[in-house]
Amino acid sequence: MGTKEVPQEPRKDTSVSLADAFGNRGAEVLTPKSEEEIAEILQKANQEGKKIAVEGGGSKRGYGGTKEHYDYTLSMAGNKGVVEHKVGDMTVTVRAGTTITELQDFLQEHNQMISIHPNWPDQATIGGVIAANESGPKRLKYGSARDLVIGLRVVYPDGEIIRTGAKVVKNVAGYDMNKLFVGSMGTLGVITEVTMKLRPKPKCESLVQVSVPEEKLQDLKDLAVRVQDSMIEPVSLELLNTALSKKIINQEAYTLLIAFEDVEKSCRYQEEWIYKHKPEGADVEVIHQQEAHHFWKTFKNLEPSGLTAPAFEETQAVIKIGSKNMDVYEIMKESAGIEAGVKVEAHGGLGHGISYYTLSGPERKVISAIQHLRRTAEEKKGYAIVKHLPYHLRDEIDVWGKKTSYFFLFEGIKRTIDPKNTLNHQRFIGGI
Amino acid sequence: MFGSKKRKKPQRDPHINKLIEIVGEKEVLYEDADLLSYDCDGFTVHKAMPKAVVFPANTEEVAAIVRYCSTNNIPFLARGAGTGLSGGAIPLNREVIISLVKMKHLLSVDYENRQAVVQPGFVNLKLTNSISDKGYYYAPDPSSQYVCTIGGNVAENAGGAHCLKYGVTTNHILGLEVVLPNGEIIEISEAGVPDSPGYDVMGLLTGSEGTLGVVTKITVRILKNPEGKQTVLAYFDHIEDGSRAVSDIISAGIVPAALEMMDKTAIEGVEAGAYPVGHPDDIEALLLIEVDGIKAGISEQIEEILNVCRGRNVREVKVAESEEERGRWWANRKTGFGAMGAISPDYLVQDGVIPRSRLPEVLENIYEISRESGLRIANIFHAGDGNLHPLILFDSRKPGETEKALKAGTACLKACSDVGGSITGEHGVGIEKKEEMRFVFTDEELEAQIKIREVFNPDDLLNKGKLFPTPSRCMDVKKIVKDTVAVQ
Repeated sequence: MGTKEVPQEPRKDTSVSLADAFGNRGAEVLTPKSEEEIAEILQKANQEGKKIAVEGGGSKRGYGGTKEHYDYTLSMAGNKGVVEHKVGDMTVTVRAGTTITELQDFLQEHNQMISIHPNWPDQATIGGVIAANESGPKRLKYGSARDLVIGLRVVYPDGEIIRTGAKVVKNVAGYDMNKLFVGSMGTLGVITEVTMKLRPKPKCESLVQVSVPEEKLQDLKDLAVRVQDSMIEPVSLELLNTALSKKIINQEAYTLLIAFEDVEKSCRYQEEWIYKHKPEGADVEVIHQQEAHHFWKTFKNLEPSGLTAPAFEETQAVIKIGSKNMDVYEIMKESAGIEAGVKVEAHGGLGHGISYYTLSGPERKVISAIQHLRRTAEEKKGYAIVKHLPYHLRDEIDVWGKKTSYFFLFEGIKRTIDPKNTLNHQRFIGGI
Repeated sequence: MFGSKKRKKPQRDPHINKLIEIVGEKEVLYEDADLLSYDCDGFTVHKAMPKAVVFPANTEEVAAIVRYCSTNNIPFLARGAGTGLSGGAIPLNREVIISLVKMKHLLSVDYENRQAVVQPGFVNLKLTNSISDKGYYYAPDPSSQYVCTIGGNVAENAGGAHCLKYGVTTNHILGLEVVLPNGEIIEISEAGVPDSPGYDVMGLLTGSEGTLGVVTKITVRILKNPEGKQTVLAYFDHIEDGSRAVSDIISAGIVPAALEMMDKTAIEGVEAGAYPVGHPDDIEALLLIEVDGIKAGISEQIEEILNVCRGRNVREVKVAESEEERGRWWANRKTGFGAMGAISPDYLVQDGVIPRSRLPEVLENIYEISRESGLRIANIFHAGDGNLHPLILFDSRKPGETEKALKAGTACLKACSDVGGSITGEHGVGIEKKEEMRFVFTDEELEAQIKIREVFNPDDLLNKGKLFPTPSRCMDVKKIVKDTVAVQ
């Protein structure tokens, strides 16, 4: 640490395995092939006081978790496949280990899609995405996992199998137990099957990229406010900082990604609307269909994940910030105050309030950048979660930030469902 | 406990005095005559008298009432406008009713961030009315929206005609202030920030039918009015054609804002009601379909819908020519339940959900139930999301007919759950469908839910006896014994 001799090409350090770097791995990897097997494993582990780390594709290995040693890794990767797809009902039931890409490819043949667009779709499994409540820029229009999951099958730590929700799109029978597991980081049960609402694949996809130089950033905010106050219906209003713009579209500028997914006439009309209202001097590029599709594909594979070998002599972290919609802009503006030497690639949704910051640089500087972002977010009544960080730093930086005043409810829920802390112990907020 | 002083009037219950201390004399009802109108809600089959009704003015008063009830082991429940259709606000255990109708203010609107903060007693439609001048609205629109409160909507996770495209209440709640059953006030996602770290307690509270906490402040998402809107009315000679058209529309990749259906008996009702629109009296079904969004793209979708209907032998299909005409069609639909009063002395509303592709067979089953019970059943429902509302028409003055209606209602729910559906899409379980919970959940699954209730509401003083079937398992029986002992 501390040496200035950083190799030009960040070298993959093969001596450090991903498990060592990111943790969340057990001494033994179990690969059950069925729900019954999962239930047996959990029941036995629970009885014997063993600890289990649950894993899908492994892309979130660096997300939370301060426990050094688990007895087992329960890999869900072998539990894949579509269980039931009701085309006319627009619902799909899929095993948790199915990757997002596998599921989308399957649905594509029926002109349908799941309208959740998380990172690393080729690796991330639907179970992991739901458990970590992952989403993407298009949640502006389509909502997030909590809006789209209608039913789950979950194995409780004692081996009991519970269904939540149902395979219908509207349902208020009993408590909305689906919500309990969305974003629970696998600390309550192992999701084995997910039933989701589907959407028709849009007939037309377009993406308008509006870029302005740094000093004109305010213009993009004004445009976003104007869009939100108009009747046009973008599926994303994602603001990119200059480093990220440079990386993806080779523009040394702040960029607003305004996407439309609708029938063709609507898309064209809305593109024109943006043209008409674009800030003076802004650079506007519009891409369609395959090209837009390709753009998003690239976009979703940019951030480091638990499958990315850590770069030698460089620390990488990904921060998720939740704020009021327009505070995304303020926080991004203030992120310019992060000290030099840390590369900051950031994007955030001006219509949905979720931002992501990828930080890379020397360890200490990355740590202080995280603190800077967290302070900024909390001042605005938001929060900052560190969703990717090497294991050895997760003790130092509390990944989940400060506890809420009602943390006792979380503890109560955990104690009720997993009293022996069998599942993903210490992976979640407050050491749950 | 009991007044022993020699006074001319029997002494007032000391608990009442305590409640008066908290909210003031005028804000507590405790005389039988005053309590009568609180013996039920929109589910009128079952009635029970509360101990008192209190009208707190703010969160602190709610918390003080809850704390008092909780320390003194007095059952209590929260109530909004009392329009609930499953009996969720009926005081089964002589509860103190905390009426939130005086906490009825719109606290703030933040257009830039598309959110509004309201008190629980704020009426649903008033929110849209308060922001419509700027072109905004609040999406969840239950038929009772002109009177029901947003607090009640949160408790029930209320839906409405437009939730096919826009989702139900839970999809529009950004933050909640809640008084927990022990009197503690918590604030979830104070600034309305999404994905609040931790378990989704807000998601659990929404739709918990007032059994986990009393909601005292709500941050909701507001939306911009769609640029364009077109509404289609289609008449069918055969109900099966109408049902198949529903699936065809969805399969064509169209996401209508609303897709409503009425059958022959329902049409007879709405035409006899306060808002007739002149539907033909010899059709078997009608569809009311609304598409909204960018104007430029709507006509294409309307054309496709018209084609689908024609492909399913529609007798007549028309597009609303004016906002006035559209308004009349919707008034006719939205007052549909009440309109049944014009053709039947009593009616029972049911609320099952099915996968929409099973619509034809389930409707056939419902007609079979009607034939068997000898009661007419009108169907008026949200076909797009498979949310059926069989209205069972009966006459409570005829001995045994109420029971027959209840039985027919249960049979309808069974028909829904048998095809993989649910027993309620938006009205809630309340006391009405407690037993029917067994149609959809195993004992273990019910127990998993009850355990969650125990985390929030360990003494089960808040809205006791709702949502879950009467005990059958030893664990529950043990708890009942414990509770009974505790109450003594």
